Amino acid sequence: MVCRFLQTAAGKTRRGWIPYLRTGVGFSGRKASQEESGVSNNLELREVRKAYGDFVAVDGVSLAVPPGAVFGLLGQNGAGKTTSIRMIMDILAPDRGEVLFFGRPRRLEDLRRVGYLPEERGLYRKMTVFDHLLFFAELHGVERRRAGKLITEWLERVELGAWAKARVEALSKGMQQKIQLVGTILHDPDILILDEPFSGLDPIAQALFKDLIGDFKARGKTILFSTHILEQAEKLCDHICLISHGKVILAGELAALKRERGGNVYRLTTSADRVTVAATRGVAEVLDQPSGLRLVLAADADPAAVLRKLVQHGDVTDFRSEVPDLETLFIQAVRHAN
Amino acid sequence: MRIDPIVTIAKREYFSRVKSKGFWVATLLLPIAMAALTILPSMIAMKSRASQRLAIVDEVGGYGAALAAKLVEEEKPAAVAAPGVEPRKPRKEETAQFKVELVARAGDRAAQRTDLDRRVLAGEIDAWLWLSPEGLAKNEVEYHAESVSNFMTQSRLSGVVSAVVGEARLKAAGIDAVQVSTLTHDIDLETTRVLAEGSRQEGGMAGFFLAYFLFFLLYMVTLLYGQQVMNGVLEEKSSRIVEVILATVRPIELLLGKLLGIGLAGLTQLVVWLTTMAALSAPAVLTALALLPEDVKMPQVGLGLIAHFLILFLLGFALFATLYAAIGAATNNVQEAQQFAGFLVVFLVAPMFFLIPIINDPDSTMAVVLSMIPPLTPMLMMLRIAVKMPPLWQILAAYALTTAFIVFLIWVCARIYRIGILMYGKKPTFQELWRWIRYA
Repeated sequence: MVCRFLQTAAGKTRRGWIPYLRTGVGFSGRKASQEESGVSNNLELREVRKAYGDFVAVDGVSLAVPPGAVFGLLGQNGAGKTTSIRMIMDILAPDRGEVLFFGRPRRLEDLRRVGYLPEERGLYRKMTVFDHLLFFAELHGVERRRAGKLITEWLERVELGAWAKARVEALSKGMQQKIQLVGTILHDPDILILDEPFSGLDPIAQALFKDLIGDFKARGKTILFSTHILEQAEKLCDHICLISHGKVILAGELAALKRERGGNVYRLTTSADRVTVAATRGVAEVLDQPSGLRLVLAADADPAAVLRKLVQHGDVTDFRSEVPDLETLFIQAVRHAN
Repeated sequence: MRIDPIVTIAKREYFSRVKSKGFWVATLLLPIAMAALTILPSMIAMKSRASQRLAIVDEVGGYGAALAAKLVEEEKPAAVAAPGVEPRKPRKEETAQFKVELVARAGDRAAQRTDLDRRVLAGEIDAWLWLSPEGLAKNEVEYHAESVSNFMTQSRLSGVVSAVVGEARLKAAGIDAVQVSTLTHDIDLETTRVLAEGSRQEGGMAGFFLAYFLFFLLYMVTLLYGQQVMNGVLEEKSSRIVEVILATVRPIELLLGKLLGIGLAGLTQLVVWLTTMAALSAPAVLTALALLPEDVKMPQVGLGLIAHFLILFLLGFALFATLYAAIGAATNNVQEAQQFAGFLVVFLVAPMFFLIPIINDPDSTMAVVLSMIPPLTPMLMMLRIAVKMPPLWQILAAYALTTAFIVFLIWVCARIYRIGILMYGKKPTFQELWRWIRYA
């Protein structure tokens, strides 16, 4: 399934399409290429596939991250997020498909403009904090003298200035997480790629991460991060791509997605049982969420008519239109994909 | 493949080792430990043999006093020296001291023997000798002691008894013992090693020990630094830093940087050791330090020899470390890795079976052929060069073959490494490894 969206330089959606998933039919995709708009995506996957033996981890994923976007790569564990990211980082070679950086096939030196924080991350325990950060900076091609200055500044900023000469193993876990983060962004990357950045973080490091993402976004940098925690994605992302079983099942600008679905999602509290509600004419779908039932109405359904029917089946104490949250979109999309 | 990241990785590997205290402790401690290991045992051995309380029962008669005299007398330079023949200087280990107690034959034979055994157990004497007529007829003398493994002492005793008994027998046959001794004196080989840069006198044993020493030094550093590569890879895997590095560095660059950095650390250590050795083995230094008796000719460690040793270290290290890196990448912890590493040690240990034959005949077909087989080349070529410089073409051919083999190994192992470093969980089977090599 292909999903692309066009962006103006400012990052606002000018025109876009979202794969329409409710019918469960995949779109072959209209070519909305960068040549048309004159703006290149910072990062793009085209029909990328990766299999491990018989297991297809990523099955024809296409996604495009426009400049300045905070892009959430969402999906359950094992959906193919890490494999996709590893292919972006050239750590894994795709069996098929293309990875593009800045609108052209990826070059090795592009990776130095990326700050990558893998899900499996760590540090050399025996190195001193300063030497370690210097090592990271050198790997990204930062000149030694400039790196020294940057490291000192960053250590001050994360309040670890006094620890520069200490060995990594002497630091607490939270401090090590800060060092890891500083190592990722020290070279001032144009693109940040964070794989499950919040997993295992203590609250202070989490706050630091969020600040940083905000800071990078404000400076017009592009951020792609993966997570399986939807509340986080909801707060941080402006674009999402939802992967399930190696396939993209929903993608687009978050606000647009919500707008699209906002018109026909209703919250319902009723004494009638779920099966009865689902069988009601005009109800396309019922989602059972902790806060109550969510109804997705058929496109041509009249809400008032649906409510009248529902009242006949039981006592309705609450029925209101709602902007769906990401979780609703997620469940809906997953259900349709299956 | 880019040079920049390889250098960055190599620098980290090198300095994180060379800057550590452990590195320098090992660098300084090893020569001290080796010196201690060679000098201490002989010192202790000398001390322990300083006096043995020996009881002698002479049932035959006439030998006891002569034996006692001879055992004490031998500590002084040969008394039997005849004019024109230089007396043989006693070696240190031969000058064990005996406190001899002559015990008269008395009472029941069995009872006296039991009593002597009791005295040994009680610690009153260390050993006893029994000369009986029937024993001597069969050229045998009984020796009882708590330990009968002190073969140096025993061989000396047997020598003295042989000399005394032999002298008496010669005298009985009417022959002049002194003359016989002079005429049948041992002949020594005066060894001179023929070298391109000038022949010089050198002890045969010393040459043997040099070859032996270099062989084991090479074995030790190859194993040590090879395993450091394996542990380094395992550390990167278990600390989960490897993927962070892979963000900007290709696996092959990481592998090569690692080999380069750790190999250079090993080279640094060897250069320190070998220069110390070369300096100390210079004849002038040896004499000044009065470490050795004048008549022991130390082999001099030449620059050529050192150069070959270092080249062979680098080849051997590259060969084994590449394999160690693949093992580290394919496994999850040291225990798992050791099971695979056992296969490698076979190739490192195999040359030891050929040690003696090659030292004896370094130009034999076997020696030439075996030293051309890449996994065996580093150790066996070292041995051959130390014993007798092989023809240049053989050395170059062996180096070229080994280099080609290393390139092949890096090609294979890089594939295992590339996949292995991101694999956590179960240990791969050989089938899986084969698949990694084919599909990577």
